[in-house]
Amino acid sequence: MALLEIFDPKAAPRPIGIDLGTTNSLVARVRDGKPVVITDCNAEKLVPSVVHYDPRGRVIVGVDAQRLAVDFPRETIVSVKRFMGRGADDPETRRLGTYEFVEPKTPEEAKSVRFKIRDRSVTPVEVSAEVLKVLRSLAEDELRSVGGVVITVPAYFDDAQRQATKDAGKLAGLDVLRLLNEPTAAALAYGLEKQKNGLFAVYDLGGGTFDVTILLLDDGVFQVRSTGGDSALGGDDMDRALAERLLHDLGVPVENRPRELVRLALDTARKIKHGLTETDRVEAEIEVTGGTRKLAVTRAEFDALIKPIVERTGVACRRALRDAGVSADELDGVILVGGSTRVPYVRQYVEKLFGKPPLCDLDPEEVVALGAAIQADILAGTKERADEILLLDVLPLSLGLETMGGVVEKILPRNTTIPAGARQTFTTYADNQTGFDLHIVQGERELAIDCRSLARFVLKGIPPMPAGLARLEVTFRVDADGLLSVTANELTTGVEQKVEVKPSYGLTDEEVETMLMAALDHGEEDLEKRQLIEARVEAERVVLATKKALVADADLLEGDEERARIDEALAGLEEAIRGTRAAIIRGRTEVLDDVTHGWAGRRMDRAIARAIAGKDVTAIEGTVAKARGVEAHLAEHAGHNAPDGDASGTGS
Amino acid sequence: MIDPFQTLGVEARFDLDPDDLARRHRDLSRALHPDRYAGAPAAERRLSLSRAIEVNDAFRVLKDPIRRAEALLRRAGVPVGETAEPKPSPDLLMEMMERREELGDARRRKDLDAVRALAEAIRGREREVLASMGRQFAASDPDATKLAVVLPELGELRYLRRFLDEASAIEEELSS
Ligand SMILES: Nc1ncnc2c1ncn2[C@@H]1O[C@H](COP(=O)(O)OP(=O)(O)OP(=O)(O)O)[C@@H](O)[C@H]1O
Ligand SMILES: [Mg+2]
Repeated sequence: MALLEIFDPKAAPRPIGIDLGTTNSLVARVRDGKPVVITDCNAEKLVPSVVHYDPRGRVIVGVDAQRLAVDFPRETIVSVKRFMGRGADDPETRRLGTYEFVEPKTPEEAKSVRFKIRDRSVTPVEVSAEVLKVLRSLAEDELRSVGGVVITVPAYFDDAQRQATKDAGKLAGLDVLRLLNEPTAAALAYGLEKQKNGLFAVYDLGGGTFDVTILLLDDGVFQVRSTGGDSALGGDDMDRALAERLLHDLGVPVENRPRELVRLALDTARKIKHGLTETDRVEAEIEVTGGTRKLAVTRAEFDALIKPIVERTGVACRRALRDAGVSADELDGVILVGGSTRVPYVRQYVEKLFGKPPLCDLDPEEVVALGAAIQADILAGTKERADEILLLDVLPLSLGLETMGGVVEKILPRNTTIPAGARQTFTTYADNQTGFDLHIVQGERELAIDCRSLARFVLKGIPPMPAGLARLEVTFRVDADGLLSVTANELTTGVEQKVEVKPSYGLTDEEVETMLMAALDHGEEDLEKRQLIEARVEAERVVLATKKALVADADLLEGDEERARIDEALAGLEEAIRGTRAAIIRGRTEVLDDVTHGWAGRRMDRAIARAIAGKDVTAIEGTVAKARGVEAHLAEHAGHNAPDGDASGTGS
Repeated sequence: MIDPFQTLGVEARFDLDPDDLARRHRDLSRALHPDRYAGAPAAERRLSLSRAIEVNDAFRVLKDPIRRAEALLRRAGVPVGETAEPKPSPDLLMEMMERREELGDARRRKDLDAVRALAEAIRGREREVLASMGRQFAASDPDATKLAVVLPELGELRYLRRFLDEASAIEEELSS
């Protein structure tokens, strides 16, 4: 079998799961029904998420890049995840660090952090894509052909951070099946391995981010009840706190710190921190101009330094418990994830907070990647009995619109199960107002200015009329990746205007496309090749799914005519796949989509009926008859989604 | 309008068993969740997304007693929403004002225990109102004029809910 695999020239693409961490990244896959981490030629599992740009334009990633960090502090990016989806003025750019940033010249540019590396300007998305490319090639070395990918993100990542991660995947040439929340991934791996049911908390403190998730494990269903966290809180902050002290002890003035020394102090701090996990006192040496200086730190000193950092996790945990409507003693266990949970003080704190010793019998650094691999296996349809497993996740941060006076009107509250949708009706507040200004924000604060701004747009061309008469309907939809799309409709006087917005964090789709082109050696030509491959992969997936369905659900076809139309479209698509024109393949995929639409609906109804079979037959029939698309549903729900159920909507 | 009871395939009543409801939501999610359709044609993926959103929304409505009551009333053709409902009684307004003042005082004193005690008292009251509403819904015919008797209690529930939201925000503020 193994031999056959190695020599098979047309290897089937295999799904993989990636944990794109702040400090370390891993790639895993499922082998013989069990998730395993893929190792490099040195049997290393972790790839340090460090990227170095050398003077000749080459990119070095991982351990080798890490070695260059001290000598090239500006050109070596560590912890890039802390900058994902962040604006140029983000507080992270002002914390202790070694980078140079590009001064934004336009408001557009200011929407994303840009590193100044020699004469280049590099975005966090590009840096992350370099890490992903290395993971991809690691996976390709073992599997030869990589199919769909699940990439994990901190549960507390906002829309911009998620979108940035997905773009990085695209830039690295990956087919991103899904973004999966890290704690949920960990719970999936843990739950399947330990075969446990119950209510659990996942406490994930990594290098750069903190997440806490409360979820119910019930025979393969992983239902997230609530999530909380801080996407800028982790081991890096412990390193910084200790490095500040080291620099102080060395007598380095705050206003004059060479970047090399800062990097060295941060690295030394991390080594000391790791040492203190094992022993009570650690000595270290640090090279400064004028010789080597010896330093010593005790565990008690270190604990005092990190106390405020660790206590911040407690705030998030208490809120998550409150949001889930449970108390700590109702939990069946607390699962520890992330390298920073190795710190003894963190363990003690968690034990005290939840009133029970945490579970740490799985490797806290691997468990997220293992969960991602399982999810990829499920989504790719290769997992056996995949239908027994279901992940029900939530939106981490409320989504809303800015209304009068800069106040936020929440459209979808945090911890709503995703996918989710809601619609709100607004009206004009001035006579003869001809435009609506829409500002979409994310966060819990009352004022828009304190929330994360996701997108702004103007709906124009409203016919002049008295205040309060125009009706604007705004629809929010959050998909299973936790990504938002917004549609706005102006419905007065029968004129229907639709504006669709995808929130952006500074990189437009075109920019990503341009980056993709630039990254390929032969630009245009390679892009075409890639598009062809992508179109084929998608088309083959559709052909396979349709053929499978034709075997299972042929009885739901309405007569021979429908069957004939589908057969014809199938044949057409298969012929196109053998050709080399991406546009034709895509066109015929759409044709097949079209002719199978009605039948697909009937099949879904059957799936619903089966899901609740034997429970209440008449009720099921009702469900099936009434189940319709969300558009119809939302249209009828217009204005009823306000949190307080106020059907009149709020003036904007 | 689409009926959340119908979407979830459960009986249209106020006193639904929360476990049954959760089970039904889960069964439907197993069949509809976009994860089940990851490899499916684009049209099917869109359909699954729409339906999963619909099922999640219905579950969200039915889990929440206020929105569940609204859904029942709407089914019967009773207009709901604060502007459509009768004005709350002066007694209730007065009482809520007093409670909120107490809450504000506790907040100023940074007295977390007092905030919790106030919230607990209101939660007790909420339970009573819910039980009474359950009885009213069960007793009345699904006829618009008769169902309207629950409206004052629904209004009260909204006030209690707002109070509890405020209390939990203060609790969060004081405990961090
Ligand atoms: N033995 C140890 N003692 C203390 N800290 C440790 C130890 N081992 C690892 N860490 C810390 O754990 C962090 C890395 O953990 P991990 O690999 O789980 O993070 P990550 O997944 O890269 O980050 P994130 O999940 O935040 O994106 C680093 O800050 C590292 O210093
Ligand atoms: Mg991690």
